Amino acid sequence: MKTKTLTFITAFSTLAFTLLAHAHDPKKPMQDTERLDCTLMEKMDHSKMDMETPVRQAMIQQCMNTMNNDKKPESESEGGSNGDELAGHKH
Amino acid sequence: MTANKFLYYGKYLLITAGITMIGGVAFIFSGLYPMGADVPHNSLTYWGLETLRERSIARVASDIEVPKDLDTSYRLLRGGADYNDMCADCHLTPSKKKSDFTLGLYPSPPNLSRNENENGHDHHGDKLYTQQRQFWIIKHGIKASGMPAWAPGHDDERIWDMVAFLKRLPELSPEEYQILTTRSDSTKGHEH
Repeated sequence: MKTKTLTFITAFSTLAFTLLAHAHDPKKPMQDTERLDCTLMEKMDHSKMDMETPVRQAMIQQCMNTMNNDKKPESESEGGSNGDELAGHKH
Repeated sequence: MTANKFLYYGKYLLITAGITMIGGVAFIFSGLYPMGADVPHNSLTYWGLETLRERSIARVASDIEVPKDLDTSYRLLRGGADYNDMCADCHLTPSKKKSDFTLGLYPSPPNLSRNENENGHDHHGDKLYTQQRQFWIIKHGIKASGMPAWAPGHDDERIWDMVAFLKRLPELSPEEYQILTTRSDSTKGHEH
């Protein structure tokens, strides 16, 4: 009986420890990556730029998406409307 | 008489071919040829391998249909994020001039952030072929080069996104690169 109890406690403890090792915020890997810095756009000389080029348009869209998502509550920003356009890339 | 001459010279040709084959196999098994990435090929071998590669790619890539929307912003953003995650370590960025991979791989990966001919191969200004070639190489990789085939796990549209980004990469400043390649909510779900 003691052996069974000890075995059960050991197995349960090991399992609990293993699960704890994975119990982290799923967003943590994203938080560790580089963050978008749209203030870099403010420092650029816009008078010399053609705002119609694909690069400029993409930068504007990127920063607008970020600003819009920052304004939304967190529960809405995950998979929100700005993500719908580019969502659907399934593996 | 003519038949005798043919047989006479044919015999010596066969013997020569046989000796050449045996010599080639013996050379392969000897282990004499240096295979370290830090010992460059001799010029003839390098030329042969480069030509073989480029002719092979040209044959299979020239019929690839290039999408008309490579200049759209959504392709740039999706391709940029993938480039930063999957390609930048080898093919560099506007602010990154070298890496362990560029120093150690042979041949060295082309610096795709620079507006120059890749490995000295001139596509004669043929931008269509450049895009076809880049698509094919990203999708299928190149044998024994360190360039993987990205097709497993990446569909054609995703690869075209990267081609779209490569088209603009040489003109980007470090700041523009940072903005275009950072994964935001609009490109999440594609992380590696």
